[in-house]
Amino acid sequence: MRRPALLDDPKRELWLAWYATIAFYTLYTVVFFIITRTQPPGKAWYTPTQVVGWFASRHEGLLIGFGLIFILGGLSATSIALITYSIRRMSVSRVFAYSYLIIYAVSAVPGFLFICVAMTVGAFRPGRDPEILRWIYDLGFLSFSGTMGVFLIGSLIWMVAILLDKNRVFPAWFGYLNLCNALTEVVVAPSWIFHTGVFAWNGVIAWWINVVVFGLYTGAFIFLLRNMILREDFGTGPLPDLLPPEGRGRMLAEFMSP
Amino acid sequence: MTTTERAVSPVPEQSPSEHVPGGRDIWFFVLFESLAFTAYFCVYLFNRTQHEQVFLLGQSHLLLWLGVLETIVLLTSSWAVASCVQDARAGRYDASKREALLTAGFGALFLVLKVIEWVRLIHAGHTFTSSEFFQYFFFLTVIHCIHLLIGFVVLGVLWYQLSDQKRRSQPTVEICATYWHSVDFFWVLIFALLYVVR
Repeated sequence: MRRPALLDDPKRELWLAWYATIAFYTLYTVVFFIITRTQPPGKAWYTPTQVVGWFASRHEGLLIGFGLIFILGGLSATSIALITYSIRRMSVSRVFAYSYLIIYAVSAVPGFLFICVAMTVGAFRPGRDPEILRWIYDLGFLSFSGTMGVFLIGSLIWMVAILLDKNRVFPAWFGYLNLCNALTEVVVAPSWIFHTGVFAWNGVIAWWINVVVFGLYTGAFIFLLRNMILREDFGTGPLPDLLPPEGRGRMLAEFMSP
Repeated sequence: MTTTERAVSPVPEQSPSEHVPGGRDIWFFVLFESLAFTAYFCVYLFNRTQHEQVFLLGQSHLLLWLGVLETIVLLTSSWAVASCVQDARAGRYDASKREALLTAGFGALFLVLKVIEWVRLIHAGHTFTSSEFFQYFFFLTVIHCIHLLIGFVVLGVLWYQLSDQKRRSQPTVEICATYWHSVDFFWVLIFALLYVVR
């Protein structure tokens, strides 16, 4: 009896991690934007009474949505693992991979889990003092938006690794896109100062522009990680190119190749 | 999905007519950062139309001649880095290194002028939180100066490349110069919006 082809595929673990990455970002989008409606963020200038209303209108969503995150949020480790793997496949020092792994593992706590814990605590007892609820609300959004800077150094490390790499694991333009992403994370820092306007945590510059850049960046690296797995030969030298498809996809494939 | 699905192809050669200074990748950065700055400028202009008097009052506290001086200094640095590229192409690496240093010198002078301007405004009571105009002023000038600081690292790479015959690479020289020109380009737009458009 023949074994299924998947079991013999030496890349099966890599594909598993890649599909888990897709599952994580889908879960993240559905939970934050649809179930809990914590993104786009609530207004930074809300009064305690308005914050009570904000929690009341999302009560079930916050408990169910973040409950899902507490069960499945660990899937975020797969994308970090895959990116660390990609850096290890480069011709650069292992220091880059270890630094990236540690920074992102630590950053996930303030940048991702704090908001989930804070908002769940807020929804857990709806009868709390409105001032305490606003304290929890501030903690959740400030930890989520205000700590974007902790990811900045990670992006720069990935950028330097890509630009130094001779194995052509990622195209250089993606190295520069890391810089663009890092620079837009800088502009979120004023959210610690402003309660209103474009620099508040829900502002046009601090949130909307930043999230558009982050969305494009995330889409690009998920696609490029897929290409890296397709090209992986488990050697130590340069990764081979993919043969570009014929027709309309050819130009895009040439742009995406290192 | 395995490697056997797609055959491996050799790296395609680029014809001279397709040559882009520094390669297409750094131009992707220029394009993407230009889009990010365009978004900031759109937000600035929209808010300016909403609070025109506040913005005009804020602009009246800026010294136009200082902005012009900063622009001239940065444009001169761009001229120096363009000369650096030309000399590197011609194999005149000593001159090229001098021009890289000159570029960094003008960049440092721009930074000093900017710090003097910030200190003057802060002493006059115009800070990041004092008015809507100065929110944008400090935001745009600081984010530009972060690009400038990264530019010094880029010039360091340029100097390192030019210093040793074994390391010299014309594409890298052009990449560094393209980055520096983009810093200059963003400043010209910021200068026009903050100092000139009234």
